[in-house]
Amino acid sequence: MAYRVLIVDDSPAMRTFVRRVIDISGFEMSNCFEASNGGEALDLLRHEWVDAILTDINMPEMDGQEFLRRLSEDEVLRSIPAIVISTDATMHRIAVMTSLGARGYVTKPFLPETLRAELERTLGVPCG
Amino acid sequence: MGEIVFRQALRDSVDEVLEKMFFAETLGELSGPDEAGEAITVELTFQGEPSGWMCLRLTADAAREIAVDFLGIEDGAEISNDRISEVVRELANMICGSVLSRVESAATFRLGVPRIVACCEQCTESPRNTCYRAQLSHGRLTVNIGAGTTKCPQPVQSAY
Repeated sequence: MAYRVLIVDDSPAMRTFVRRVIDISGFEMSNCFEASNGGEALDLLRHEWVDAILTDINMPEMDGQEFLRRLSEDEVLRSIPAIVISTDATMHRIAVMTSLGARGYVTKPFLPETLRAELERTLGVPCG
Repeated sequence: MGEIVFRQALRDSVDEVLEKMFFAETLGELSGPDEAGEAITVELTFQGEPSGWMCLRLTADAAREIAVDFLGIEDGAEISNDRISEVVRELANMICGSVLSRVESAATFRLGVPRIVACCEQCTESPRNTCYRAQLSHGRLTVNIGAGTTKCPQPVQSAY
């Protein structure tokens, strides 16, 4: 099965990198959507269904924290697993994002296999 | 926070970020001032305990190589200065976040937006700063991190 993934990050370079790393990792992705902040992501999710969301925290207009809060308040969208990708590896930040509904947390820098493992874990993909 | 702890965190962060995210490695620590020549310098500030600033300087060839590796651009393909500066800002963001996560793992911090600066007077050794210079395969990298308020110049027009 191939999955539809949404990457939310204000850096076009980072979005390109994440998409590339997913390809390198061998994770099966049928569609990859991109948004540059939480607001854009919510607009996109009104028209496109995705299986997983990868989101940054520090973004202009609507940051990752507010984005997760809005997702958790939406009866339909709250079921989409969201994984945070951030440079911030402090326990406080991880706890805050988890409390807002993040199902996974990947700290930069990361290896392709780390991102794949987190995607598969949150999507319940069988190992191997 | 001790200078030795910061220095080790800085060295480990640079090595790990380059290896995992840029498929590159440092080829040894350098000493002495930066050589004159075309380079790109990015500065960002951070709020936390402590608050401070970080400067990243990459020689032009090193910056191009880093960007090519990060974006997966094929050998010989064109890459604009805008794309290069975007990647170098991301590199600075990752190094700073990694350093702070190592020295403030139980606290919280907030990173500012990385910005291109014309030059950086603080990229020189100073008792108040922690500096790490490393040789890369296509140039050199200098990272300087310090507590307090930045004195870096305002952003100006540059090649990047």
